Amino acid sequence: MVSVSTRKEARVLTKSLEGDVVQIVSGGVSDVGRVRTNNEDSFRISEPMNLFILSDGMGGEAHGEVASAMAVETVEKFCSNPEERKEDSGVTLHGAASDTWLPQTKTLQNAVFQANYLIYQSAQKNKEQRGMGATLTAGWLSGTKLSLAHVGDSRAYLLRTGSLQQLTNDHSLVAEQVRRGILTPQQAEESEMQSVLLRALGANADVEVEVDEVDVMPRDVLLFCSDGLTRMVTEPEIAGKLQAEMDPKEAAKKLVDLANERGGLDNVTVIVVRIQDESKGWFSWLRRDSGKRE
Amino acid sequence: MAKLSLTFESKVVKEVPIGSRPVSIGRSPDNDLPIDNLAVSTYHARVYYEGGKLVVEDLDSLNGTFVNDLRVERAMLHDGDTIWIGKHGIKVDATADTAIPWDTGRKAAAPKINETMVLDTKARRDMLQQAAAMGERSQLTAGRVRMPTLVVLNGKTEQKEYVLTNKLTVIGKSPMATIRLRGWFKPQVAAQINQRDDGYYLGTGAKIPSVNGALIQGPVRLNDGDLIEVSGIRMNFIVRE
Repeated sequence: MVSVSTRKEARVLTKSLEGDVVQIVSGGVSDVGRVRTNNEDSFRISEPMNLFILSDGMGGEAHGEVASAMAVETVEKFCSNPEERKEDSGVTLHGAASDTWLPQTKTLQNAVFQANYLIYQSAQKNKEQRGMGATLTAGWLSGTKLSLAHVGDSRAYLLRTGSLQQLTNDHSLVAEQVRRGILTPQQAEESEMQSVLLRALGANADVEVEVDEVDVMPRDVLLFCSDGLTRMVTEPEIAGKLQAEMDPKEAAKKLVDLANERGGLDNVTVIVVRIQDESKGWFSWLRRDSGKRE
Repeated sequence: MAKLSLTFESKVVKEVPIGSRPVSIGRSPDNDLPIDNLAVSTYHARVYYEGGKLVVEDLDSLNGTFVNDLRVERAMLHDGDTIWIGKHGIKVDATADTAIPWDTGRKAAAPKINETMVLDTKARRDMLQQAAAMGERSQLTAGRVRMPTLVVLNGKTEQKEYVLTNKLTVIGKSPMATIRLRGWFKPQVAAQINQRDDGYYLGTGAKIPSVNGALIQGPVRLNDGDLIEVSGIRMNFIVRE
């Protein structure tokens, strides 16, 4: 059972810092893995908005799927319909922690609050859904600013000049212990407690959302992935695949295949976003040509 | 995991973790926790889990086993208790036990280990408190704010000092760079610093930076006092409190 979605046409972004025209291409793949019987991951690439959302659900039976689908849909809907934002949201929309944030960063944060509340409410109403929850990692590109909102242990990475950098913190017990200096990263990787999350959507009526803004540059590659990838594949391997494969959907597929070759113990979902270089410099016609040939 | 720390004259001599197997204590060297002293019987006592509780049992020793001044044949142990055998004290550290939900006797309802679970707020608080208690030896205790700072020693930059506040710090000519380099041949991104769970990592850009004179092979964790050189700039990485 493989669900695939891809967006291949490049999109022109509205503005960028140096007046360059920046284009992005993106693609994503989700796979059940080799062990599990159902895929509890969900993802969404909202092409017109350059919005990327990934969620890893949890909870017995099919409820993990329900939770992650709900998370992804709510965030997309909330971000795309600013008019509807205030209606029927039982949740108080929080004032942003930082006034310097862009409006879309605040919107994204509130979208996650909203998703949390809806999942929580649904789990409260329906007995059989008790305990369902989901992680959520979302990125929203506008111009050269990437707004990030994140809860749980899915991850966002940035590959720039060959270095893979994690943009999110895992909200897991072992990651917290590493931050406090109790465990080394190596011990955390070997820990049996890796699946214990400190935050997830749907666990409480309120949730703490990690929000950040990152500047992207031409030739950057963004990666959003569920823990099914990062537990099976090392970061240098991820960096290698992202550098070797220019087509985002193919790159996502290769990463998923690699996770499955390693055992595929969990659902694997990968979104790859490539920011293309379309500068107006002297040699831009050369670059454009090479882009077509590829 | 719970552990026993053997102390003698208030110095820790040996530490033994308590797993599913009993920990034997005695003078014979084949004990898990051997104590070489004539006041200790060959096989003196043992400590083990029973129904999720930690228990000490005296093995008919000559001079007896004591838990906090009380002679016992068999007694339940609590975190912080001291077992006395002769002049040797054995401190019981069971802080981590209650933090593991599936070890508290509710085994039937415990989730499978590879299944993701969330801690509710209270459990999370307790767990973190325990984690914090365990981490007292770590440098990252609460109350101290650590400010990672780059101090520029040589080279043209806009500031002489940069406090690293972002997840991602770019060193280069790019307008997005935090540490902005000037000069015709400076790269857009010379190097970058990524904040991770366990510290700050220096990664390559268009240039390969060196740390303390050695070119880096991949992302390198920065330590207090490290000397970074990249694209004609020399900087010190310093952690201020």
